[in-house]
Amino acid sequence: MTELRDVSFSYAAAPEKGCIKHIDLTVPDGQFLLLTGGSGCGKSTVIRLLNGLVPHFFEGELSGDVLIDGRSVPKMELYETAALQGTVFQNPRAQFFTVDTTGELAFGCENQGIPENEILSRIGRTVERFRISDLMDRNIFCMSGGEKQKIACASVDTLQPPLILLDEPSANLDYAATMQLRGIIKLWKAEGRTIIAAEHRLFYLWDIADRTLLIRDGAIAEDWSRADMDAMTNEKLAEYGLRSIHDTDPVTIERSCSRGEVFTVKPHKKFSFPAEIPLHEITAVVGRNGVGKTTFLRHLCRSARRSRRIFMVMQDVDHQLFTDSVLEEVLISLPEENEERAREILRSLDLEDFADRHPMSLSGGQKQRVAIACAAASGRDILLFDEPTSGLDYEHMRQTADLLRQLREQGRTVLVVTHDSELIEACCTNIIRLES
Amino acid sequence: MIKLDPRTKLLLLLAEAVIVLGQLGGGNAEPFKTVFMALPFLLLLTVKKFRTAVIGAVLLGLGLAAGHIFTEGRGAIVLLMCSGILTRFVPSLMMGNYVMSSTGVSEFTAAMERMHVTPKITIPMAVMFRFFPTVKEECSAIGEAMKMRDIRLGGSKVMQMAEYRLVPVMTCSVKIGEELSAAALTRGLGSPVKRTNVCRIGFHAADIVMFLLCAAALGWIIWRSVT
Repeated sequence: MTELRDVSFSYAAAPEKGCIKHIDLTVPDGQFLLLTGGSGCGKSTVIRLLNGLVPHFFEGELSGDVLIDGRSVPKMELYETAALQGTVFQNPRAQFFTVDTTGELAFGCENQGIPENEILSRIGRTVERFRISDLMDRNIFCMSGGEKQKIACASVDTLQPPLILLDEPSANLDYAATMQLRGIIKLWKAEGRTIIAAEHRLFYLWDIADRTLLIRDGAIAEDWSRADMDAMTNEKLAEYGLRSIHDTDPVTIERSCSRGEVFTVKPHKKFSFPAEIPLHEITAVVGRNGVGKTTFLRHLCRSARRSRRIFMVMQDVDHQLFTDSVLEEVLISLPEENEERAREILRSLDLEDFADRHPMSLSGGQKQRVAIACAAASGRDILLFDEPTSGLDYEHMRQTADLLRQLREQGRTVLVVTHDSELIEACCTNIIRLES
Repeated sequence: MIKLDPRTKLLLLLAEAVIVLGQLGGGNAEPFKTVFMALPFLLLLTVKKFRTAVIGAVLLGLGLAAGHIFTEGRGAIVLLMCSGILTRFVPSLMMGNYVMSSTGVSEFTAAMERMHVTPKITIPMAVMFRFFPTVKEECSAIGEAMKMRDIRLGGSKVMQMAEYRLVPVMTCSVKIGEELSAAALTRGLGSPVKRTNVCRIGFHAADIVMFLLCAAALGWIIWRSVT
């Protein structure tokens, strides 16, 4: 049994964000509990309380007690908690310790001092059940996000923990990889493990979870049983600010626009990419992992480098913000430094109040807008977005959709690579399917 | 394929640093200095890092050639300096590259354990294996972004360029470092239980050859210096 007894916690670094207040929760063995709610509502904090990262790694003010099978997690050392639970994290880039897949599957068991033969036989069993023999003995740096997340799940599985925690595991996955993740979770559920998942993409877990908690402002706002969940509709969920429970494969959505002006794409040596992109539309680019979506974006950027028409807003916006203030960021993008013009651009994107802030201190959505401001400053009219809504909750997804529409109204062309069918349905006017 | 024990690799790295980088024994080190200059390239070929080996060989070749072209005149001193840097550093860098790319984290920790090195030293070093390639990925993504935003070298912005590149690299590295440690800790890293290691390490014929080579080089240098 897993319990939270009147737990309150606030982070020392940012007391307001992600704090939780007086949570009482009992999860019986074998239950699959889904935690959902907006960004920063505290659902990840609950996961961190259970794996001991709170308060041992992320420090702050803690009261109440967290128990796994009667043992208090805050009082245990992290390595003791490690034997009771396994956690799959959001970012597939930063949750591995070794470089090769086989070493990664062994890592958790090695730390527990499990005998070598036992570890090898456990790895064998996991590989067989997860059907990942083709991923063994490979370099993790050369894998796709979906493959990495499978390895992350497999390395949790070899430890055979009674409690499995998932912290937004699908945030960086496409539709097909998300469905494979669902398969793995179903496997664990069938084996009777306790599973607690924090997630705002609901569609792939909704019908297999036993119970859902809606967390709002650090407290349990709703506690839905299986029957409540069956009676739920998308409209009701939207009122709660939650994502859709319909699983729509983005590849199946239909959208088309009338033929107007187009941007001609130079042919690529290896891939046969679409030759034209309609101007003044919001075009979604969809396709399975590995069909060359990233290559397509790179190719567009490269082929338009001379004409300076294309600007790409990267998935990890941190990579493209270089300076120490928002204003400076826009200034270096202008052909001639002109503070008045820079402030005008910031105003048009509701960023004026942040002009002197450090870009890294802003939220994800605000950073995206800063990048867009840079695009506007450099006078480019075609904007590429790489997965702008990965890891965003319903509210923020709506905001991104509004922003894209606003950009279109200003006469810009938007091209968005995405696996978020809700975003496509909310704002895209055209769709391009990439096929291998 | 030749597979060396991680301990042998560490010894080779040390020998490389002392003989080629540190120039122990000066001229007395020949012909072993030449052997150690060539060795990293051969080892890189055994792990199929052809591209790295070729780039390294070209740089080393340039370094060696630069030392022989001019021996007089104003340019000679600059050329000699370049030659000195290239011939000293390139073989050691190549050896480092070989050790990093051919050793698994598990093998490395097993080897350190056999040498009775405390986990306080082993764990941070093991993290490096993962951290550096991750930072490299970050750097290339940032470089791509700079090109896309058309921020190029030149003019009055040279200093700023360095800043623009370093600041995001540092913030991203710190963030990733934190996530990496958090993930490793939830999986029981740092437990006082004696760790097992699933990899097999041990000395084989190739290791003995390398040991003999290092011993011979050391013996030769001492003998030549004494007599």
